[in-house]
Parts: sequence; structure tokens; C-alpha cells
Amino acid sequence: MSKTILTVDDSASMRMLLKASLTAQGFKIEAANDGRHGLERMMEVKPDLLITDINMPEMDGFELIEAVRAKPEFRGVPILVLSTEFSDEKKARARSAGATGWITKPFDAAKLGTAIRRVCP
Amino acid sequence: MSDDLDDIQAIFFEECAEGLATAEAGLSAMADGDVSAGTIAGVFRAVHSIKGGAGAFGHAALTAFSHRFENVLDEVRAGRIEPTPGVTRVMLTAFDVLADHVAAAQGTSPLPNDAAVAAALDQVLADRGVAEAAPVAPAPVAPASEPVAVEPDPFGFEPVTAIVEPFDPFGFEPVTVTLDLLDDAGPVVADEPLPWTVTFVPSDAALANGGEPMLIVRELEMLGGTITGVDLSRLPSLRDLEPEHAYLGWTISVPGTVDESAIGECFDFVAPESIVDIVRDVAGDAAPAMPSPAPAAVEIAPVVAMTVPTLIATPLAAPAPAAAAATTPVAAPASVSATAPVAAPVIAMPVAAPAARPARPDEAEAQRTHEVAAQTIRVDLTKLDMLLNLVGELVIRGSILADRLSPKDQERVELPQLSRLTREIQDTVMSLRAQPIKQAFSRVPRMLRDLSAETGKQVILETTGETTEVDKGVIEKIGDPLTHMIRNAVDHGIESAEKRLAAGKPVQGTIKLSAEQKGARIFVRVADDGGGIDRARVRAKAVEKGIVAADAVLTDEEIDQLICAPGFSTAETISNISGRGVGMDVVRSNVEALGGRVEIASVPGKGTTFTMVLPLTLAILEGMIVRLAGQRFVLPLANVIETVQPEPGQVRPTTTTGEVIELRGNYLPVRRLTRTFGFADNDAQTPEESLVIIVESETAGHVGLMVDTIDDRREVVIKSLDQNLHPIRGLGGATILGDGSIALILDIEALVGPSAPLTRYPQKGLAA
Repeated sequence: MSKTILTVDDSASMRMLLKASLTAQGFKIEAANDGRHGLERMMEVKPDLLITDINMPEMDGFELIEAVRAKPEFRGVPILVLSTEFSDEKKARARSAGATGWITKPFDAAKLGTAIRRVCP
Repeated sequence: MSDDLDDIQAIFFEECAEGLATAEAGLSAMADGDVSAGTIAGVFRAVHSIKGGAGAFGHAALTAFSHRFENVLDEVRAGRIEPTPGVTRVMLTAFDVLADHVAAAQGTSPLPNDAAVAAALDQVLADRGVAEAAPVAPAPVAPASEPVAVEPDPFGFEPVTAIVEPFDPFGFEPVTVTLDLLDDAGPVVADEPLPWTVTFVPSDAALANGGEPMLIVRELEMLGGTITGVDLSRLPSLRDLEPEHAYLGWTISVPGTVDESAIGECFDFVAPESIVDIVRDVAGDAAPAMPSPAPAAVEIAPVVAMTVPTLIATPLAAPAPAAAAATTPVAAPASVSATAPVAAPVIAMPVAAPAARPARPDEAEAQRTHEVAAQTIRVDLTKLDMLLNLVGELVIRGSILADRLSPKDQERVELPQLSRLTREIQDTVMSLRAQPIKQAFSRVPRMLRDLSAETGKQVILETTGETTEVDKGVIEKIGDPLTHMIRNAVDHGIESAEKRLAAGKPVQGTIKLSAEQKGARIFVRVADDGGGIDRARVRAKAVEKGIVAADAVLTDEEIDQLICAPGFSTAETISNISGRGVGMDVVRSNVEALGGRVEIASVPGKGTTFTMVLPLTLAILEGMIVRLAGQRFVLPLANVIETVQPEPGQVRPTTTTGEVIELRGNYLPVRRLTRTFGFADNDAQTPEESLVIIVESETAGHVGLMVDTIDDRREVVIKSLDQNLHPIRGLGGATILGDGSIALILDIEALVGPSAPLTRYPQKGLAA
């Protein structure tokens, strides 16, 4: 039973790239283009893993993570941040918001898959 | 997959173009003094996205440069760098280079030399003390014999190309474990590397945030690791057990052939405060390498027992907190409360519900700015075009039906309702392709500032009609022509400050940029208040270049049109600005390729106006179906003022303009369209047998057009004319009428404009 991953990124090319790379690795991919839709899709899809960007126009990644974690049913869902940012400050902020891990863009498809299986076997 | 990647990459470049436009608009606003948080955040996000995508598609130079740029923007965004005019200038320059980098990544231009700008950006950072080139070096990998707490990069991906990434992750605090016992051990030389002993004590909060320490243990097992010990010392009694707390610790022996970094990677997402220790075993010492003085504290944990048959009781060489826990098995940290199982002891932050979170002012603003951008979907343009064509066919079918059915039958089958619906569908589909011309205009302020700086001429820009909606394809293609027209206006149009003062004009020149839709055409004008076209010089130059014969008789308009002749350049010294090998001839051919034309109007001493007259690729036009020599044409109704059935003597010949019509005391020029288009067979027709349609034109005021009859009034679908028909002035497109026959649509401006009734551009006839 393949795992469902919700990817949230405001860049369409990034969403497509994620979908292409991860579908090839056997994941089922759903996507949303910003935090707000990410939260809506989260409720609909109830994915096994959430991968989110940080910098997005409507509801950024931090806010999305906080909002997702505030819902009891998503307290245990792993959340990975996938961002070009890599400052400790941002990572700490993501962690306290409830992120499980942080992956710095650009990603290598194989390593991304490994990282995903690290939190979502 | 590679095809897919190409497609995705194409989308990425589209996003780049959008991002560049956003960044440019934002930077321009900043240069004009708008340094609000929303504006800065917009620019940051644009550059940030470009960087992200560039990295994903392997454009190293673009990634590196956008990263540099982003660093400065980030500091500005955080308020640590003041967006002074100087800083903004550097960023504007950086923007230009960024655009060049994007073009280079696309393969449309060579890689730009960004050294100077990169240095300037670094200087901006250095001025506030953040030097790009001072990375915090990661701790060197410990030699095999030296026990050092591993400082895993929990997000251990390759850093972005050309970026040195400071190492520490999520505030993970490195825990140094010193084992005295190992201090004396010398370097190990062995054929078979000694195994690693990995100690892993997840923090209490390791199960929060979706973490699962067992997955790390399993991953180590996949690397060939064997659990050699389980620390149960922190396990409370069942009654006190919090299901969401981590209580266990493990000691795992991993084969020495496994790379240390591979082991470290397993801990990529380990919770902060966890203890991770990777130590190479010492020769001669049987694993486990650590003393195990407290067997009493160790029990066999069922969960481990399932996977590991032999357990060696080993407590953990742990620093103070865990050691304390080892002696007091049930002692949980004070911060662990039964009611807040998710709370992480150290970095615990209240998890706020989003609704309760007040938006910061800058965020609220940023959200407003992007409200419009949300809720969009990308659709392949060819699909839209197909839809557009189909709707066009639907409209035509509708009018064929209307032709064939009597009004009564039309009502019976509810044809009017159907037509209305069809019309609405068409409007909607049209609007899908239409975008405000603002996108094309947004580059201009920036460019003007640069031009001002280069030429020392002060220029004010006045923009109107930027909300005019134009077909996306048209917007994309008018960028270059527009750029050149603006350069041209500053370089050749606006005079130097001294000349302007001498002419009694304000020192600052004005360029008016406007767009408007009239009927089926979009008019984009660039008007300067400069010296006008120096016709004597243009003529002399054209003669010198052999574009016209020395004795050619040319009207002012024809001379003006010479500017668009291929290879024409009047700048006495080739300037950096417009002398880039792109002349007005390229502008003209670009615009003509779109089915449009370039008009030039110049008044000596007063200024010059260049107008791009562009088609809406497909639109519904309300038209009058007229007949010329038996053929049907469509006259755009928007231009029609009135229709006159001339009385005998009302239309009279004159010497200069041919014929005029007397209308309520005024004389208006009349053009016989049959003559204009060369249907000379009914030239002898008397005006009384014809109709004169008075039309209003932008350039020539009211003019009478003589046609044979008027057939009908009807909405028609404009179809673009084929390329080879473009040079025929006076035709704006074609349509299919209700009976299936084709009718050409008249372009009033071209028919009655100043250079009418020319059928081709002057230099084409004069060039030989």
C-alpha cells in the first residue's frame, strides 16, 4: 500500500518535479500551492507525510505546520520542510512549529526518497 | 521522464519570468521609496523561488548568484540592512544580472559576468558584518580513535552548489562524550576496520512532531547494525508511562565498513536534545567498548527482543542528564507533564491554532498583495487556443442559424438565448488569454532610470491604460519593441538639458506610455516631448545609405517612416543605448509579425509619438457589412458616426485630397473604397448611387468612406490574416459570415490615416 504524501509549494515546477521524482519511487503524491490550500488538502487527503516549502504567499510553511499540528489527528504525521533556506534560526523555528525534519533544496531524488522513508517507512 | 523534466523546466522558466517581473516591480517601488515589509518580502520570495528551482534543475551559476542576491534581500527583509538608495541601487543592478543569468540558464544568452555585482552584494553584507565567505566550518570528522560526539546534520543534504552551509541543524545541541578509557588508545591499524558503537538516547520529545526513534534504529540495522544493548533505565512503571514519551536508549554495533557519514545520516531527523554518539571500537577490546557497571538497570525490552535474539546488557555512556536517569529509573524530567504530552522540554513553544494567531502587519499586507495571485491554475496555452477556436466556430454556426431561420423560428428554438450564452462563453474564454499590459509596462520605469543615468537626461514617465487587457501572446512579444521604442525616445527624442532650456521647455523630458483598446486593436503609444524627428537629417542619412534616391520626392510622413527602414541609424555617435544593432526596423518587423503596424507622428520641436497598433488575436467585433464592387467587407461599428445618402452635388472633387462631402456646412474628405482597393470597374459610379459612411479616426478625424451598399449589422469573429496579407494597408482581419463566405475586415485607421492610401510602406517602394 503506497504512502500518500502531500507536497505544498508555491512553485508549480517544484510541485511537478516532486511529483515526478516521488511517484517514480512508489509514493502517491497530492499537491497544494500554498499553506492555506495545503491545510485544506491536508484535511481531505489525510496523507502519511507532509512535505512543505517555507516561503509561500498565502500562509507560509511555519504557519502551515503549526496549523496542522494543532489538529489532534495530525499530531503524529511526519512533516518535512523542503526549502532553499537553511539557517539555524529557520530550522529551529520549523522544529518548534512541529516539523519532523528539514531538507535543503535542491534535492536529489534518491536522497529525498531515503529521507522520506526515514520518517515514513 | 526527461521529456517530463523539460516540460517542468519550461514551467520553471515561466515562473522565473513572473518572478523577475515581480522582483523588478518591487525593486522599482523600493527605489521610489516604498520600502514596506510587503514589498521587500515580495522581492525576496521571487528571488528565493528562482534560486530553489535553479538548484533543482542544476543551473549552478544561477543558483549561486540568486543565493548571493537572496542573502542581501534576507537581511533587508529582517531589518538588519537598511534599504538605502545605495543598497537599492546595488540590488537593481543585481536584478539585471539575475535576469541575464536566467536567460543564460535558458540558453538564450551567454553567461553574464557577475563578478562586480557579486562583489557589490558581498560588500553590502560585509558592511553590516555578515560576510558571505566566512562559513562556519563543520567539525572535522573525528579520527577513528578519538571519541567525539557526532554532530549530525539532521538535514544532511548536499548544500546548494557554491554555498558553504553552516552545519548545525534544528538547534541540535552537540553532546560531547568523553570516554577516559579511550584516551590512551593509539591509532588503529587493521585490515578489517573495527566496528562502530553507536549510542542513541532519544530525547523525551522524540516521539513528538511525528518522530519515531525506532525507525532510526531500524535504519542502522539495515546498515548491518546489531542492537547490543537497550537502556531501560528511564522506563517508568506502567501507570506512569506516557505513550508519547520516548524512554528507551540503544547501543548498536555497526560494521566498521560502514561509512561514518552514512551512520550520521540516519540521525538526520533526530529530535533535538537526543544523545547520539558514534565511536569506533578500540582494537583488542571486545564490543561493547563501554564498561557496564549497572546490569541491574537493564532489562530485556520486549520490542527489541523481537528483533534481536541476543542482548548484551550495556548501559549508556551518557552525559549528566541521562546518567542521572540511569540511577533513578523513573525520574522523568520535570517539564514532562501528563497533560501536555507533545511539549518538548527545551524548545517547547505553544502550538497556536492558526485562527488565534494575529497576522503581523507586514504579513497581512503581503497576503493582500497576493490575494489575486492565489487560486490559479496553469493551463497549456494550446488548449486555450483550441477552446477559443471552437467557441469561434460556435459563434459562426450561431449566425448561420440566425441567417437561415425566420425571426419567429429563431424565437421558437430560443436562438437569442443560445446566442447570448455563446457570447458569454466567448467573452470568458477570451478573458482567459487576456492579461493586463502592465506586465509589459512594468519594466519601463526601471529602464528609464538606467537610461537617465547613462545619458544624463532627466525623464518623467507618465503611464496610462496599464490595465488594458491584451492577449498573453501579444504581451510577450511587445516587450522588445517597447524597450527599443523607449530607448529610442530617450536617446534620440528627448533633447539635452541645455537644448531643452533653450527651447523654453522644462529640463525634465516627459515620456508618455499608454495603452488603449479601440475596437479590435490595441494601441500602445510611446510619446516624447523632445525635438521631433529631424527630417532633413533623416533624409540625408537615408540618401547616404542608399535607402532612397537623392532626388526622391517624399512627404514628411514618408521621411518619418524611413526610420523603420532596415539598417537605418541616425545617431551620430553610436550610443550605448539605442545603437545596439536593434533598429526600428526590427521593431517594425516584430510588430508586423503580430499582425500589427507601427505608426510614427512627429512634430518638429514638440516631440514624436510611436504607436504600435496591435490586434487582439481573436475578438468579437460589432461590424457593418458593406459591399464594394459586389464583395462584402466588415466595417467596425465602433468607428462609424453616421451614414449619409449623398444628394447630387454634395460630394465634390477637389484638387488635393480627391473628393469632399459637404455635411451641415463642414467639408469632410471622402475616400472611394472601391478605388482604394483597386476595384476600378465601378469607379464611374456616381456618389448618389453610393452611400457615404462617416467614420471617426484617431489620426485623421472624421472621414467619409464611400461604399456601394450596406448589407447588415452583425457581430463577427475576427480571424487573423495570413502573414502575406499583412502589407496590405487597410485590412485588419477576416471573418466568416453566416452563410459561410469570407469577408475582410477593414482597418479604419490604416485606411484614412495620414499615409493612406499607400498600400505599402514607402521605403519598400523607394528602396530600389
